[in-house]
Amino acid sequence: MSDKMSNSFKSYVGIEDYDLQSLNVSGDDSFSDLNPRLLTGEMVVAEAQKVLLFAPVSSNNKGKSGTLSVTNFKLSFVTTEERSREDTISQQNCLLAEYDICLSNVDMIYQIIGDKRRRLLPGSSVPDKVKGLCILCKNMKVMQFSFKFSPVDHGKTITNALLHHAFPRRHQLLFAYDYREQYYNCLQDACWYRYEHDWKNELERSRCSGWRISLANESFHLSTSMPQWLVVPVTVMDWQLTDAARHFRGSRPPVWCWGTKQGAALVRMADLLPTITERTQENTMLEHVRKSHPTRRQPLLLDLGKDLPTPRDVQTSFLKLRDLCAPDNLRQFQIQEKDFLTQLESSRWLHLISACLHKSVDAAEAMQNGSTVVLQEFDGRDMCCVVASLVQLILDPYWRTCVGFRTLIQKEWIVMGHPFCSRLGHVYRSENELAPVFLIFLDCVWQLTQQFPSAFEFTETFLTTLWDSAHVSIFDTFLFDCERDRLLAVTDPHNPLVLRSVWDWGEQFPEPRDVALFTNPLFTCSERRMLRPRWVLPDISLWTQCYLRWIPMLEIRGGGHPQVDLYLRMLVVEIAAIQGQMAGSSGPGDSRVADKLAVGVDAATLVGSFFPFSRSGGAATAQSQLFNSFPGEHALDSLSLQNAPD
Amino acid sequence: MDRKSASDLLNVENSHSKHASTDSLASDSKSSSLNSKLGQESVSSSKGSPSKSYCSSSSTSTENVVSTLESKVKGKQVNVTESGPPSRPDDPPLLPGEKVQGMAREVTYLCPYSGPARGTLSVTNYKLYFRSMDRETPYVVDVPLGVVSRIEKVGGASSRGENSYGIEVFCKDMRNLRFAHKQENHSRRNVFEKLQQFAFPLSHKLPLFAFEYTESFSENGWTVHEPIAELKRMGVPNDMWKISKLNESHEVCDSYPSVWAVPAAATDEDLRAVAQFRSRGRVPVLSWIHQESQATISRCSQPLVGVSGKRSTADERYIQLIMDANAQSHKLFIMDARPSANAIANKAKGGGYESEDAYQNAELVFLDIHNIHVMRESLRKLKELCFPNIEESRWLSGLESTFWLKHIKCILAGAVRIVDKVENHKTSVLVHCSDGWDRTAQLTALAMLMLDPYYRTIRGFEVLIEKEWLSFGHKFQQRIGHGDDHHSDADRSPVFLQFIDCVWQITQQYPNAFEFNDYFLITILDHLYSCRFGTFLFNSERERVAESVKQRTVSLWSFTNSTIDAYRNPLYWAGGMQQQVLVPVASMRHIKLWKGHYCRWNPSMRSQDPICQRTRELLVLKDQLERQVEECRRELQARVARNVATPPRLASPTHS
Repeated sequence: MSDKMSNSFKSYVGIEDYDLQSLNVSGDDSFSDLNPRLLTGEMVVAEAQKVLLFAPVSSNNKGKSGTLSVTNFKLSFVTTEERSREDTISQQNCLLAEYDICLSNVDMIYQIIGDKRRRLLPGSSVPDKVKGLCILCKNMKVMQFSFKFSPVDHGKTITNALLHHAFPRRHQLLFAYDYREQYYNCLQDACWYRYEHDWKNELERSRCSGWRISLANESFHLSTSMPQWLVVPVTVMDWQLTDAARHFRGSRPPVWCWGTKQGAALVRMADLLPTITERTQENTMLEHVRKSHPTRRQPLLLDLGKDLPTPRDVQTSFLKLRDLCAPDNLRQFQIQEKDFLTQLESSRWLHLISACLHKSVDAAEAMQNGSTVVLQEFDGRDMCCVVASLVQLILDPYWRTCVGFRTLIQKEWIVMGHPFCSRLGHVYRSENELAPVFLIFLDCVWQLTQQFPSAFEFTETFLTTLWDSAHVSIFDTFLFDCERDRLLAVTDPHNPLVLRSVWDWGEQFPEPRDVALFTNPLFTCSERRMLRPRWVLPDISLWTQCYLRWIPMLEIRGGGHPQVDLYLRMLVVEIAAIQGQMAGSSGPGDSRVADKLAVGVDAATLVGSFFPFSRSGGAATAQSQLFNSFPGEHALDSLSLQNAPD
Repeated sequence: MDRKSASDLLNVENSHSKHASTDSLASDSKSSSLNSKLGQESVSSSKGSPSKSYCSSSSTSTENVVSTLESKVKGKQVNVTESGPPSRPDDPPLLPGEKVQGMAREVTYLCPYSGPARGTLSVTNYKLYFRSMDRETPYVVDVPLGVVSRIEKVGGASSRGENSYGIEVFCKDMRNLRFAHKQENHSRRNVFEKLQQFAFPLSHKLPLFAFEYTESFSENGWTVHEPIAELKRMGVPNDMWKISKLNESHEVCDSYPSVWAVPAAATDEDLRAVAQFRSRGRVPVLSWIHQESQATISRCSQPLVGVSGKRSTADERYIQLIMDANAQSHKLFIMDARPSANAIANKAKGGGYESEDAYQNAELVFLDIHNIHVMRESLRKLKELCFPNIEESRWLSGLESTFWLKHIKCILAGAVRIVDKVENHKTSVLVHCSDGWDRTAQLTALAMLMLDPYYRTIRGFEVLIEKEWLSFGHKFQQRIGHGDDHHSDADRSPVFLQFIDCVWQITQQYPNAFEFNDYFLITILDHLYSCRFGTFLFNSERERVAESVKQRTVSLWSFTNSTIDAYRNPLYWAGGMQQQVLVPVASMRHIKLWKGHYCRWNPSMRSQDPICQRTRELLVLKDQLERQVEECRRELQARVARNVATPPRLASPTHS
């Protein structure tokens, strides 16, 4: 036994019997003041002391010592060890600290027993002694803890609390309902597609005649998963729509979501119910769609269910991808290194991305050629969202701006009822079909930003942050399966939910710098054309920032795309300053620009390839330098004014 | 408004190259010479990098597009070509010293991507040139004969079926070309013979084209690397290191440079004695020295240990001198590039490796890099995968099964280990493999590139190649097989290509640390084979001196440095303070296939580099704005000066 363990210590998790001498534990032993910082309405439900947090992807012989707590919002590890100063150049989230995980982000919990691990499911019995825990997150982060030095029972207490609170069985148990912080909405006049005028504006913007706004789904009588306002062919009466809807899965008849100025419309619909054998209703509705085209052209019907992955395919592929991107330890990392590309291929993740882009390019080309495109899929709530949004990004530059992108997600995902709650598993239900369909979309968008780096106003950091934020149970945006559920929560007389939008970035990121990093310095509005993305496999890359950022040794110190980004920001600042000078304003003179540049160059050595998500950065230097070197919002504004849409 | 004028400027450029790209897409989409890789680049530019549409000196009308950014530098060169304009449209454009040797009409080029095209095939003493007028725009294939590795006849007198009778040309640059001849024209024999003669001039007792090429350039590339000046740049000679001219006539080691930097305490006798104990006399000599810590990188060949485990006190003492020259560390790492099994096997042939018993305080590390034969085989598989078409669904696993990227990773990882020892542990490193001219050159050159920002400039990189590869006797002649027809020669191997690939990998990880772009790297590789310049000819400095290469041929660096703007990386952070030491991550999670090089003949695989394009636009804009500001300032000063000179009289009433 002892032989086996001493062996496994080096190569694998030897939580129980590791050699104390070689264990490099940092942080001192005073555990007096290690309480997690709590939000209003947050409370601690369990706590374990003298817990070790292992360094990620290591041989698990290095760790930080601290206190681990479970609250009704997060799993929080607080260490005595001073945060190294370089950490502060990474993204500063005021809701979650570096070693915090929101409970909604927890995907799998493993008990570590010697060199084995056992998955613990909610409801399963927790063993009396828990010596080690491994937490695997939905965003691929991994944390491994040891309770070797903790008082007896602390490991078990934490595990129990975690299994109970990380997998709530009712929506009302999510922290959003308990969060008591006052909310000042900064996005009052944003477009949510909850009201008629939002759709009206969109119809007018795309100059689509032939379509009208219907209130047939008032109070969600027609379909519980669709918005109350629907855009349908002018020739369809409300009663016809209601009648037809009953024949479709989820009562989702064809509805308009976007159109080109030439009159080509993008329409999405569900499959007919399996009990319906004749297709009359579908054909009738498609005939209406045809008539709403200016030249009465036959629409192109794309069966997304046939060629695109199902949510189950997405989940299977994601789990394989995550195995590759979240290795348990150093040894596994090195084993994967041997045939990484083959394994990546067999995860089929890149194939899925390629398939979604391919289908979207086909649809976009058809629309560009003047044809109406009808997207049809099982429930019309998964791949329809992916393809409909991608088609619009490809064709219409408006959606490629920050505001446009937000609006697009609101329109195609939120109000059209992508079941975020089920897909992301916010509530633990056995019938949940978990699948990161939204991540497939974000990844496709990332591929576009790589192929067209000046066409998008937002950066990959924005996309990665958006994915992270989908697992924070404070924001309502990605918390519900449909608009109806949201409305019910808001109007619940017992505990009405305050809606906090994820798009209100100030709620998470107090540093303007972090939000400034969402804006692409290369963005130019002159890029107004249709994009022609490549979708064949060799052109699809792995999104390293999003998937590999938790593996510190993969960070390129002082290199990677953030270096280019920083350089371009400097360049943009310089140009803005010169333009300011020429406009005769009392803007910053030459010297200040030069100062900024010098500072930036200095700071650049700090910025690694996973910036701003890296926690290991480069050599520590004064971090404040970096902040100053970023063109704050002002500099960016002056430039984006020229680039602003409209 | 100012912005507008700048973008107008850029639009002009855009529209130009768009024009070009559509043309060349229709016509010469894949083909082309070295330089019209450019033509090819311009195709990709329809997707966004027009300014990469550098035209070649052998420009056809379709390729003859000069982007605004490069027009200045290119102009001269184009003129040279125009000085001898072709009389008929079928005639190939010629370089100075180039002559047409044969021509065949009604030949069909079988393009694997765009299908057959009928036209005229010419052979010169430099290139094969095919031109088709079949389509709306002329279609050109322009390939220097230096890249040809073998030529075969396809089909015989009994061949039936369209395009089944002709010639197939196998190239060293990841492509093959097929031409079909009409049997009744009897044109094949002549073309075949001319191709054989001029693709393999050495096998036919003809000179390499470099010795006939007479173009002159504004810069003389032969002066780029001055060995003593380069050593001085690194602070040598100093207390611990001296410059030795013991090998001035290449007599101690015929594959080494004439100038060495060696430990100051080593006598000539020591050096001669050490040479006796090192394979082919390749003594440990300084490659690079850390300015502050004095930690060094030295290189050599394997010790002649043999099965009996011979020792040489001279060699042991000399290694100690190298260690002692670095006061910061009492250790020395000997990095043996080979897998340990190969190193052991070499004992049977009289070679081997340093035993740690004999070399006190030295630690031996095997870097596990395979030999030239393994690398050649790997590239052969890669070519099979990439040309002409790729099997898309099994792309990644297919790529992995070639092991090409794994070899690249291994070389990079080795160089990173050297960098780590030198930079972080302030310890000197001695690098060798068997002979010390293949893997050793890869490792020392890469480590130097990572350690020293100078080598990341265009001229610095040229120096690096001249020094670590050319002067230290990487056998370019043997590895490439310039001008000879032994295509299956076991000495051929893509060692230098691997080095350039590794450099490209580092540029991908550190996109703003290099002054040059990947077009510079591709240009170097193109002329590695082309035999247009003397740079990569012969196996050693001694041979090049004997053949008066500097006097009789043009240096590749004369060509590149005369058009240097084309090779600049717009993302280069010339602030001077950027990351001094680069430590790329050698993981399969980061190593990528250089599609822009290996898949460049496939029009559907052309990589785009839109970031560089947009950055270039911004730089142009900034440049223009700065000039405007400068003008304004000068005007303002002039006005102030006038005012001071003639004080306005009306303003004279005083308030005193």
